[in-house]
Amino acid sequence: MNDLELDRLFFQMVIIFLTGCMSAVALWKSPRLANCVSHGLAAGGCALMFYLAGTVLAGGEAVLIFIGRWLHAGEVALRIDPLAAFFLLLLSVVGGAASIYAIGYTADHYSRRYAILPVLFNLFLLSTVFVFASSHAGAFLIAWELMTLTSLLLVVYEHEHAANVRAGFIYVVMTYTGTAFLMAGFFIMAAAAGDLSFEKFIAVSLTQPQRDLVFLLAFIGFGTKAGIIPLHVWLPKAHPAAPSHVSAILSGVMLKTAIYGMARFYLEFLGVGPTWWGVMVIGFGIVSALLGVLYALMETDIKRLLAYSSLENLGVVLLGVGAGMVFSSAGKPLLAGLAWAAALFHAFNHGIFKALLFLAAGAVVQATGTRDLEALGGLIRRMPYTAAAFFVGALAISSLPPLNGFISEWLTLQSLFFLPQALTGVSGKIAGALLFIALAMTAALVAACFVKVFGIAFLARARSRKAETAKEAPFTMTLPMLGLAGACLYFGLQPHSMLQAISRVLQPYIGIDTRGLFEVDRIGLMIQANHAEGVLSVTLLAGLLLIGCLAAAGLYYLRGKAVRVTAPIWACGRAATPRNQYSATGFSGPVRWSFRYVLRSQRQRIVDENENIYVGRKLAYHQSIRYIVDEAIYYPVQRWILRQARFMKRLQAGSVQLYVGYVLVVTIVVLAWSGRK
Amino acid sequence: MALEMLVQAVGITLLAPLLQGFIQWCKARLQNRRGPSPLQPYRNLFKLLAKDMVVAGTASWISFVTPFVCFGAAIAVAALLPVVSSGWGVSDLFLIVYLFGLSRFLLALAGLDSGNSFAGMGSSREMYLAVLVEPAFLLAIVATAGAVGTTELGRMVQHATAHSFTLPYVLAAGAFFIVVIAECGRIPVDNPDTHLELTMFQEATLIEYSGRQLALLLWSVYVRQLAMVVLFVELFFPWHWFDLIPSLFVWGMLKIFLVGFLLALTETSTAKMRLFRLPNFLAASGLLALLALVAR
Repeated sequence: MNDLELDRLFFQMVIIFLTGCMSAVALWKSPRLANCVSHGLAAGGCALMFYLAGTVLAGGEAVLIFIGRWLHAGEVALRIDPLAAFFLLLLSVVGGAASIYAIGYTADHYSRRYAILPVLFNLFLLSTVFVFASSHAGAFLIAWELMTLTSLLLVVYEHEHAANVRAGFIYVVMTYTGTAFLMAGFFIMAAAAGDLSFEKFIAVSLTQPQRDLVFLLAFIGFGTKAGIIPLHVWLPKAHPAAPSHVSAILSGVMLKTAIYGMARFYLEFLGVGPTWWGVMVIGFGIVSALLGVLYALMETDIKRLLAYSSLENLGVVLLGVGAGMVFSSAGKPLLAGLAWAAALFHAFNHGIFKALLFLAAGAVVQATGTRDLEALGGLIRRMPYTAAAFFVGALAISSLPPLNGFISEWLTLQSLFFLPQALTGVSGKIAGALLFIALAMTAALVAACFVKVFGIAFLARARSRKAETAKEAPFTMTLPMLGLAGACLYFGLQPHSMLQAISRVLQPYIGIDTRGLFEVDRIGLMIQANHAEGVLSVTLLAGLLLIGCLAAAGLYYLRGKAVRVTAPIWACGRAATPRNQYSATGFSGPVRWSFRYVLRSQRQRIVDENENIYVGRKLAYHQSIRYIVDEAIYYPVQRWILRQARFMKRLQAGSVQLYVGYVLVVTIVVLAWSGRK
Repeated sequence: MALEMLVQAVGITLLAPLLQGFIQWCKARLQNRRGPSPLQPYRNLFKLLAKDMVVAGTASWISFVTPFVCFGAAIAVAALLPVVSSGWGVSDLFLIVYLFGLSRFLLALAGLDSGNSFAGMGSSREMYLAVLVEPAFLLAIVATAGAVGTTELGRMVQHATAHSFTLPYVLAAGAFFIVVIAECGRIPVDNPDTHLELTMFQEATLIEYSGRQLALLLWSVYVRQLAMVVLFVELFFPWHWFDLIPSLFVWGMLKIFLVGFLLALTETSTAKMRLFRLPNFLAASGLLALLALVAR
């Protein structure tokens, strides 16, 4: 397949997405048709994208799609190199699943304005494609803004809820602040390179302070998109507000545009930097990971919980990125390759399982009408397929073998394990060990968090009437979920092909060497980097687990047929009700207590003293936590802005006379100014 | 290699109930009781494997698959441990920790599955304990063997044999012993002998299980216990006097049962800790490990 064919394919894909928009507009009178056609076309576009990205990734060569001169912007090029293709592949998988899911999911949203939803959805996918494909600063920023804009409109699609509009507002403020930093970064690069094209940015000669500045600007700019704590405030609000198939793409792919951007800047444009760059990235990564998962564990809103858990996963990705940068600056190209590969693979895996979890959560919310975990329960019988898909996603996100999350977690742990080879001395050792503790603790907290979600939402008995009458989602919704679950399993058992592709992606960059890093043989995966080795035998593991389960089955039937008698559970002699079951808040209690200095948990208990103490009193119980980052950074800023606004209010009091007075004063000043000689 | 691995897995699995029985027997003796024979766990398992099961009406397929997967994970751990000389070159530390994590995850889910509030309490506490134990577990081993440049346990054991009883290893042995206690669910962390509300961890998540499923789960718990003891012995007591008894196997057994006795001794000489005291207890392990790291 040559370039010409691939670029035709690219334009076909663009046209399909645009047709998706048009058809929704044309068919706005019949939402059902608009839904099927438009989302179907989006899925088709994603299929083409999958093929395109797969071809580029397998070939390992960059493909030039389009080049044109446009006014003063210089040569505007669309180029898909392996790095872009890697992220396009993720977009195609997640986007394809979300498109098919949308057919079933949005059937609930039919209304007069329905057509907007598929239009925006197609545009959102398309602009994300352009973010990855643009290799021109101007084009990139335009695509970036289009992506932000379309996603914003999708976030506020259900604008009847005031909370969604508020979320959209915070999203706008944060993301434009981030873009401002990005633009500044691009300007510095462009001024030095004398051109806006990405190719001219590569290894452009900048002074060290300039490089530091560009590093920081890109970190803040992309960090806002990635939701690094403390730049995360918009994320837990905006992601749950969007319709669930959009949330899946927001969390699964749009966050990864930030990782893509960081890879572009730090791998390609800036090259090897000083050690503190990497150390800083690691620092923010670990804080995001730990705080993100703690907030997720405390959350009882299922979609907001998933959004907080995205903070955690992006933190883990950043650990890989930061470790890669540290290794590069220490002159350990193989280990740098390992760490970057861990970061990219985790970004990919997170995209898949988080999308899966959001889709499944969306199905639950649609079936029960509530996002509150405390009102769910027992859905495993009512919605078996959704439950099975969520179960796989929960295992994967808790990085348990033999699923894909485990492989990338393992690679990240390995790269942190070797960190003392780059950060020498006792401080390096201690820092490495502390990171290790923090990451292991994060992993355990994630497991606790997803035991909670799955256990409370899907197991035992329904805690509310709505959960009791829930119905399984239609097959257009369950099928994509099960497909993504299959992908989780596939990349857990066969990570080789993806890791080989990633090493091809990383190979061209300075300070990184992935040749011979991943050896793949019968027993599985092997990493080999000078004084660092690691073996992970995925195939062997799967085989052993299988043999073990079979042995267990053998023992189970060893002494004849197994008889299972069903009986109600023991509740100390009383009939057990769903209210006897453990609640989500109760489940996270011990962790909340242990981390009370970080979480600032508070509880309020109101006891009705008038009732008899021996029969049981009426009790109201309220539990809340405080978000220290918000309180330390955002509230003071907010107060400052409000104070300034109050001051300004005096100038702008709304009285016409006052304004006329202003005009008069200005006129006099201008006259006096022009009259001076 | 595959065959030897299976033999090892079967061997460890078959030995595991004996260690449990031995610990119980030691405990009974230390408490001036006669106690059941060390072979009692075998009898229990054999009997349970023939029994019918009473299943909670609210339980789903999660409860059904959990015993099988837990047993499978236990077998996998047993096969991967670096017991014979330096192991198979495929026993990764993280893999073993995360395999423990897999069975813990499923057990906790099974606890929530029935809707029994005691089991739910057990799940919550078990996951909380994991938050404390997993970091300590990894740190205690990495602190000493981090110098090896790999997390492959066989190579770590070789390193340990070459540097046995140096200061870092002595410190880390203390750290890891605390982890062994916690991971095996023994006093002062958990009390395996009761189903009392105050001590409910792992035992509580099993509360709705009976018959064959209970047998499988108990057995996998025993295997996990033996695996922890074997790791402890391999990494921190890699010595033997071949002049005295020229058999690796016999020495291995002696050391395993010695650690079993130590566990029984700690169980009889200490009291159960409050749940919220546990962070301090495991922080002690973490500090010892950090000292070992600095001393390296």
